Amino acid sequence: MAAVRGALIKHLRVNATPLPLLLLRNPKTIPNGLFNLTFNAIRRFSDEVMGSFLDKSEVTDRVLSVVKNFQKVDPSKVTPNAHLQKDLGLDSLDTVEVVMALEEEFGFEIPDNEADKISTINHAVEFIASHPQAK
Amino acid sequence: MSGATTAAYLARRAAQQERVRILYRRSLKDTLNWAVHRHLFYQDASDLRKKFEANKHVEDLDTIDKMIAAGEAMYDKWRHPDPYIVPWAPGGSKFTRNPVPPSGIEIVYDYGKEVND
Repeated sequence: MAAVRGALIKHLRVNATPLPLLLLRNPKTIPNGLFNLTFNAIRRFSDEVMGSFLDKSEVTDRVLSVVKNFQKVDPSKVTPNAHLQKDLGLDSLDTVEVVMALEEEFGFEIPDNEADKISTINHAVEFIASHPQAK
Repeated sequence: MSGATTAAYLARRAAQQERVRILYRRSLKDTLNWAVHRHLFYQDASDLRKKFEANKHVEDLDTIDKMIAAGEAMYDKWRHPDPYIVPWAPGGSKFTRNPVPPSGIEIVYDYGKEVND
């Protein structure tokens, strides 16, 4: 009895077509022009929260400018491959200060154990570029 | 002392250096929490830096340990009750506010448009 009912329901089931979704996704394909929307009618929940990644060249520029404005650093030696302690002659406490300045620049929070490991500018750039909430 | 450059000594020094770095980082952030105006912060930060620099050349491991413990005690004493935490970091106000929903869920805003319109 239940099996017959189940089979009957499955037979009467209407397949949901994905067509309306497609129509709503690009309004240009709607023939009657009712939906002259310029935004995407399908909204995902958490795009704003998940944030967007900054691109690397912009991150590199900002990081380099922050490091160049540092008082103890010679601006001509600052290159993307510079090691903070070996090339630029910074102390470990200076490294902490540089990391804090980068945190403030990008509106960021780096956990303590990660912040210790940043020793080159490239490392910092990769860390920031791979974090979705860097502004 | 004969154990000047053994591996254990170096390991202990490295651990101490890491503790010092973390302590300096936290105390610098705390200084920023207390001194909201930037010119005050710069003054306080350079004072803090001088304190750290004054003890830079100590070599004895036990003295260093005691100094680090004293520094951490002072940090605990001076911790700000309401520190500034970046909103989406743990402890901030936006942390896990909007968690990522399970994938495959979408809202379709068709505003009542029927398929046959």
